[in-house]
Amino acid sequence: MTRRSRWLSACGGLLVGLLVAVAALAPWLTPYDPAAIVVEHYHGPERPSAGHPLGTDTLGRDVWARVAYGSRTSLFVGVLAMGLSLVIGVSVGLVSGYFGGAVDATLMWVVDLVLTMPTLLLLIVLSAVLPPSLFTVPLVIGLVGWTTFARTVRGEVLSLRERDYVVAARALGASHGRIIRRHLLPGVLPGVVVLAALGMSGAIAIDAGLSYIGLGVPHPTPSWGRMVSDFQTYLGVAPWLVMVPGLAIALGVVGFNLLGYGLTDLLGTRRS
Amino acid sequence: MKGLRALAMALVLATGCAVPLDAPPEGPAEGGGPPKAGGTFRVAFPEDPHHLDPALGYDTVSWWAEQLLFNTLVTYDEGTRIVPDLATSWETSTDGRQVTFRLRPDVVFSTGRAMTGADVKYSLERLLKPALHSPGVEFFTDIEGVDDYVQGRATEVRGIRVPAPDQVVFALTQVDPLFLHKLTMPFAAVVDREAIERGGDGEFDRRRPIGTGAFLLAEWTYGQTLRFERNPSYFRTGTPYLDAIQVTIGANEQLGWLQYLRGELDVAGIPSAEFARVVADPRYQSLLVSRTTLRTSYLGLNCGMAPFDRVAVRQAVNMAVDKQRIVELADGRGVVARGILPPDMPGYDAGLEGLRHDPAAARALLADAGFGSGIATTFWVSRDDLALRIAQSVQEDLRAIGMDLRLKPVDFPALIEGVRRPGIVPMFMFGWEADFPDPSNFLDVLFNSRNQETNNNTFYGNPDVDRLLGQAQTLLDPAARLRLFHEAEVRIVRDAPWVPLMHPSSVNVRNPRVRNYVLHPLRPTRFERVWVAS
Repeated sequence: MTRRSRWLSACGGLLVGLLVAVAALAPWLTPYDPAAIVVEHYHGPERPSAGHPLGTDTLGRDVWARVAYGSRTSLFVGVLAMGLSLVIGVSVGLVSGYFGGAVDATLMWVVDLVLTMPTLLLLIVLSAVLPPSLFTVPLVIGLVGWTTFARTVRGEVLSLRERDYVVAARALGASHGRIIRRHLLPGVLPGVVVLAALGMSGAIAIDAGLSYIGLGVPHPTPSWGRMVSDFQTYLGVAPWLVMVPGLAIALGVVGFNLLGYGLTDLLGTRRS
Repeated sequence: MKGLRALAMALVLATGCAVPLDAPPEGPAEGGGPPKAGGTFRVAFPEDPHHLDPALGYDTVSWWAEQLLFNTLVTYDEGTRIVPDLATSWETSTDGRQVTFRLRPDVVFSTGRAMTGADVKYSLERLLKPALHSPGVEFFTDIEGVDDYVQGRATEVRGIRVPAPDQVVFALTQVDPLFLHKLTMPFAAVVDREAIERGGDGEFDRRRPIGTGAFLLAEWTYGQTLRFERNPSYFRTGTPYLDAIQVTIGANEQLGWLQYLRGELDVAGIPSAEFARVVADPRYQSLLVSRTTLRTSYLGLNCGMAPFDRVAVRQAVNMAVDKQRIVELADGRGVVARGILPPDMPGYDAGLEGLRHDPAAARALLADAGFGSGIATTFWVSRDDLALRIAQSVQEDLRAIGMDLRLKPVDFPALIEGVRRPGIVPMFMFGWEADFPDPSNFLDVLFNSRNQETNNNTFYGNPDVDRLLGQAQTLLDPAARLRLFHEAEVRIVRDAPWVPLMHPSSVNVRNPRVRNYVLHPLRPTRFERVWVAS
């Protein structure tokens, strides 16, 4: 492991740790309810002050409270989307790579089919059709994003299944399920972990993008992408409304990316 | 150097300092009268007019342009009083079913041909032709013989007669207190028969609309610009003052605002983001042009769907919503609505209490109705900045009484489609603007149970209200009508199919050189008396 990659993964870990800490400790980090609307003698959004360190938005809500609670949304969406992609992708990859033949051909055909579909369009259609809820966005991202996992895992399995210990297990009469679970899955995990970290940053970015075009998690759940979208016209008037959530999105994405690249070297896996 | 400036800019943004509000464009000091002729007025719209054919246009930009090009028999003054336009006077028969207009003798079309009563008759008959599919037909079905004409059993409408070139007589099948108001709509504008027949039967040549109006269409590059020029043969000699009106197409509010600041537009709207500091800035005070309009924005509660099929729930929602806060969130652009009718509407009752803001009582009401454990429902709202802001405020108010609203932001056309069908939209936010200043245009159109397929989108129905509205329909005595309407309004407010939110006002900002630019409560601004100082 090089010094550079150590430094990268440390930075990534720090940012991700910070994100998780803010999400976990949000209620202790701010006295405000992120949904509480306070409008007294309203004169537009308030600039940052001692009472509201990052100012208030157009509904008099505390921006720091919304960004802090928004980290929960981003992590929730990221973890759930990634979990879904992981489960589908790894299963498909294992089965496809292990059995080969017609099973492999069919499953890879499905993967190709999903891959040929324009992702953004698919995301927009799915989020428009499904009812708005906190689960819609991760579901949609998960359903679209599993193909990378499937392909990577399948590739790994293709080489692993010819290894001596797998051949031996098969000769000893181990069942397919046992071989996949005990001998193949552990072999592909390091690659999957890296992909998951990179995928988290992708999911956070996609969530922000979907929220930005109005298809993200519903109001009043605080969401970074939604904040950027809602207040873009205020960039000149109240820049903190856009800059703060924008910065949060950037840090979240960069954090998971760095972590992913750091892990690549740490676990000695190839970068896909 | 450039990099340094960008860095400084980024730092300014990052530290949360707003970019200061620009000064308004410079121009001549106030006054400078009497009105001077000349100059080009510059204005911007997001999109082209859909039509310049008055029989077909039914949107703000189309009406704005049509008002420049055409005239109607009667029109409104700066307020809602009916005044002569192409007619000099009119008389209503004692039974109320016949209206006789005398026309001005000096009106000519821009082709130079004199306008007569035959043109008035032709224009309305053309509007009523089924082949034209005019959205204005519904306003004129009470003229005698329209049915026969529409069905093809007659070649003319016998209820429109032209006994002399300077006279037109309308015979109605029943008394219609709103007939004059309907004639003020651009649908009833007088068009040039000869010019239209040269071009065939359908919509006329949109590049050469021929009317009697103060302006002529000089140029239209679709999607880019329109240019209107002064009509030298306009019948009100000496007006308009402006030489021309130049329209830029494709500007949204934000872009229009920037163009205004650069002095490239003579009038513009103010984007929501800038509004608070513009109205607070003394440099802009004298440049603001504002007017209350005949509009009410409201929450619609679908009386045909649970949980809003229960009066108690609807009343509780009314009492839970903090309307004062909503007005503040709308940058103070309007006044709190307690009833249905807006303040400039005849019959408006300033003393109407409505259901007062009282969250504790609202919670108790819900508990009594058996909803103590809470209610969840979906709330449809148009996907725009201000609407979403207000919707979130409502969401928060209702959360306080135990109602969980799922916000469903949709595009405006989808919202209109959704609310028209029964059983789809439990709760929505909408606005209504009167076509003419009569309570029936709110109460009858929006609350009569027979209109559930068109504009009664809350599917409200109350036989008592229907009866009151029916009685008022054909009554000519204004005071008695208003009494009936008021009684109906009181009942509707009590039944609470709406949460009336606010009566919004319009606010524009003008270039300092612009004079006599006023907003109208019902119609687009008229330009005959607008002038620019130098």
